[in-house]
Amino acid sequence: MSAALTGYQPAGAGFDEAIDAAGRPRPHWREVLTALAAAGRPGLAEAFVHAARLRDAEGAGHLVVDRDQRDRHEDAWRLDPTPFVLDHAEFGALARGVAQLVAVLERLAADVHGPRELVAAGVIPLGAVGASPRFRPAAAGAAGTGPRRWIVHAAIDVVRTEGGAWRLVRYEVEAPGGLGYALLNRGVTARVQGLLLPRTGPAPVHDHLAALRHALASAAPSGVASPRTVLLSGGPAQPGYVEHSYLAGRLGYHLVESGDVVSRDGRLWLRALDGFEPLDVVYRHIGDGGVDPLEAGEPGEAGARPGVPGLVWTQRRGGVSLANAYGVGVLEDPAVRASLPQVCSFLRGEALALAPLEPGPIGVGLANAPVFDGEGLAPRPVTLRLFAAADDAGVRVLQGGSGFVLAAGDDPAQPTARLVKDVWVVGGPSRKATVGSSAAGPPQVDFSRSVSRRAAEALFHLGRSAERAELSSRAARVVGDQLARDAGVVSLGGGGWARGVHGLLRAARGAPLDWRDALPLEANLRHELDDAVAAVAGFVAELVAEASHVREFLSTTTGRVLGRLADERDALAHGGAGVDHLDLLLVELAALAGLANESTVRGPAWRFADLGRRLQRALGVLGGVEATLGLAVEPVALQPLAEALLAANESLVAYRRRHRSDVEVHAALDLLVHDDTNPRALAFQLDLIREHGAALGWAHGAALADEAARAANAVVGERAAGGRRLDVDALVLACRAPLLALVDAVNARWFADPVNPVAVRGR
Amino acid sequence: MSAEPSASPSRPTRLRVVHRTEYRYSSPVSDGFTLVTLLPRPTPRQEVLSAQLIVDPAPDEREEAVDVFGNRQIRLAVHRPHRSLEVTADSVVDIDPPSPAAGRWPTLAEAVELTRCATGPDALEVDPFLRPSRLAPRLAEIDAFAAPLADPNLPLPDVAAGLSTLIHQAFRFDPDATDVSTPLAEVMAGRHGVCQDFAHVGVSCARALGLAARYVSGYIETSAPPGQAKLVGADASHAWCSVWAPGVGWTDFDPTNDQAPPPRHVTVAWARDYADLSPLRGVLIGPVSGQELTVAVDVTPAPRP
Repeated sequence: MSAALTGYQPAGAGFDEAIDAAGRPRPHWREVLTALAAAGRPGLAEAFVHAARLRDAEGAGHLVVDRDQRDRHEDAWRLDPTPFVLDHAEFGALARGVAQLVAVLERLAADVHGPRELVAAGVIPLGAVGASPRFRPAAAGAAGTGPRRWIVHAAIDVVRTEGGAWRLVRYEVEAPGGLGYALLNRGVTARVQGLLLPRTGPAPVHDHLAALRHALASAAPSGVASPRTVLLSGGPAQPGYVEHSYLAGRLGYHLVESGDVVSRDGRLWLRALDGFEPLDVVYRHIGDGGVDPLEAGEPGEAGARPGVPGLVWTQRRGGVSLANAYGVGVLEDPAVRASLPQVCSFLRGEALALAPLEPGPIGVGLANAPVFDGEGLAPRPVTLRLFAAADDAGVRVLQGGSGFVLAAGDDPAQPTARLVKDVWVVGGPSRKATVGSSAAGPPQVDFSRSVSRRAAEALFHLGRSAERAELSSRAARVVGDQLARDAGVVSLGGGGWARGVHGLLRAARGAPLDWRDALPLEANLRHELDDAVAAVAGFVAELVAEASHVREFLSTTTGRVLGRLADERDALAHGGAGVDHLDLLLVELAALAGLANESTVRGPAWRFADLGRRLQRALGVLGGVEATLGLAVEPVALQPLAEALLAANESLVAYRRRHRSDVEVHAALDLLVHDDTNPRALAFQLDLIREHGAALGWAHGAALADEAARAANAVVGERAAGGRRLDVDALVLACRAPLLALVDAVNARWFADPVNPVAVRGR
Repeated sequence: MSAEPSASPSRPTRLRVVHRTEYRYSSPVSDGFTLVTLLPRPTPRQEVLSAQLIVDPAPDEREEAVDVFGNRQIRLAVHRPHRSLEVTADSVVDIDPPSPAAGRWPTLAEAVELTRCATGPDALEVDPFLRPSRLAPRLAEIDAFAAPLADPNLPLPDVAAGLSTLIHQAFRFDPDATDVSTPLAEVMAGRHGVCQDFAHVGVSCARALGLAARYVSGYIETSAPPGQAKLVGADASHAWCSVWAPGVGWTDFDPTNDQAPPPRHVTVAWARDYADLSPLRGVLIGPVSGQELTVAVDVTPAPRP
């Protein structure tokens, strides 16, 4: 059990996390070093790769929206499989320092926005707070008008000096980030290190979520027993969105964007499907400047503005709590930060335990820890990010955190963070004891029935895009197959087959029939097949984009499927992958549909996604029938054409088993339109649409589905003219009209709610 | 352009201010939020006799608060479709003519030193106004521009008057050259702008000299005495500057009209810069396709009983 076995050599005489001055492994590192030595360099290298893969898998779906970013910075953020190990007792001292710091910041925030005793007494330099561009006048007010708490959560960055002392380099209170990533990292390293590292393992980190939930609940306006909390995010365009959706999912909160909430009559409300629902606590991940366009921002900015107008006034009136409170950003002003030691002595009569790092040459004078960079273990300085949740009972510090490995020339306060370590606290009391000590928070109000209008709309479009992608893929696959089996099929029935499948492909993607007589038959069709593949790539992109807006409604497994769909889409869009590739995509789409049916609670969220899918499938069947069976083609062309229609709608096998004969128009119509046992048939979709209408208490929607069902019962005769079967056309038209009306009605009843804040001003 | 006080030095001037703002929207707005800072605050030289805000359509929500600088703020919200919003502020104030300082005016050097070392209530008074702010940022051009006044022995009133004249002479009033989003650097480069811009220049210069300086918004009287030119900015809200004279108090100067101190200005509010207190600030929610703004300001002498 020697450090030498790992090949790790401390650098020089400065403090090393793992090895003491005499060259011996420190006790709390022994187990880890032993395991690292046993794994050897090959084991570590494998773990490094494995960690990257797992992190992608764990976060896939989360990370989908970051794809562009990932593509731009290859390996922008990798996980070091070796942890940063801290002894329980030492971590305890560090945590006490963090708790003291957060307590000081809380009192500082209350003072600078209230009586300003610290300014009057000269403890804070003149101008440091009031004249800071980050000071928000609307956050300040007379005594008693401030928020119940200023700071509910915080992220604190510390480094160890070469002398062995911990120093503060930075803290975030305005919109602290990184907690979600720290939890995500632990999820990944726990699995990697199962192969690699010791059995005792570190103190658990996920119970911090309970502490945070409790802290958020106790920040609620006074008198609220069971507060409703939402996580406010800037949306997928904001870099931290991945972590926002992860945290919302883990905490069980709605993730809302500015447009989902509205301030009215002194309270804040969620724009839910059935009107406004009151909210009590906003766990915001947006800075002070972005929460309320009425208060902040630069003058003269016209046009769309982010934020919730009136939110700050609503907080001032005590109608809602922001966590953290509006205005805390001023605490991050460098001039305020520099005065912390004096503020601490003044307020508490004691020294600041986490003294700020003395300014000096960047990267010099810091302790090192073993870091695996893909090649071997090397001593490198690390900035530790710790996370705190605070309520009136005290400050809880997550037993772990993230370690940002400092690259050469990195400012410890601004690490480039290409390599991140999980932080382990070892040697503490048994887990049971620590878990039991966390106080149970009041339960969240059940949000399962409340879905924001934006989320419902995104889910509806998600369902529609998924169905479009599926139908287009299958249609293209079937037509491609028929062509590959026998190229002569193109000229069958004087081009009747070609015209029919051409229309089938176009109908599948919702494009109008558009046969170009000028082109040769096959060219026309090949062209259409290429367009179909491009359309599929577009539908999958839409589906992934919609999913990223409602990520917290979807399971981890769904996230992984979405990640794979995004990869398949890339291959379709950029890799020149052809029709054959669609098979892989269809498997992923089937997985997505299966998860939607088997892993989703039948609440309103599921209903809107399913409604979108059913409506699209109903329209898709009708479009396919119109394009193929509506054509009066010769029997020789009808056969492959009707088979294409049935196969594109997953009904060919059922047809053969039922009829054991050539395809006949009426029997095909029966199976695709009237058969309510066929999950691909129109009737089946209409039944479900009616059920959704009933469950949502939406009679109008159910009535439109009824109207379509009645139209579907029309008798189909043999009338034909102009190369069309008139009765098929009439049936399609009569069914389609109420379905298109239904799409409009969904938009008007459930979604249409213009949210588009625009700034106006007068001189 | 300068105007002598027309009233006798011993009697206050009574002025009525009617500030009417109308927004017209090309399609109905479903939700509108407006923050209004239009009602004058009392000052040592100004008594507010009446001040009311009339809003059409009648707002669904209306609340008033005093901000951290002591300004009156009113928040309005209309939650039903409306095609226009009309906000009229109607106030009557008495303004005392400038009086001689109660204490001894400090020199620039004394003022800078006393401001820097202020504690207690004085510290609270100057704290927000000491550093550059968003719309009055620190610029090398400002330092250079203010340099002629960096004379440590200059009495503070002369510094204020000097800044006022300097800006008045160097800048051209041009309402078309800038708008509310024009940055100070552009104003400095073009040497043109409107009263808001000049107030930002004045505030920045004073802070560059080491003084605490605030941005003041308000009005000036429309009707000039016979034979005198109408003052610029009379038909809109106006803005000027104020600097802290330790031992004496805040002293105003109006670079737009080169008046130090300004004789008959109606003070509405003050703050670090325009970003903190634009007279009207609104956010609309709804399918907004276009908006039209009309502003009319009337400042008239009001009869005394």
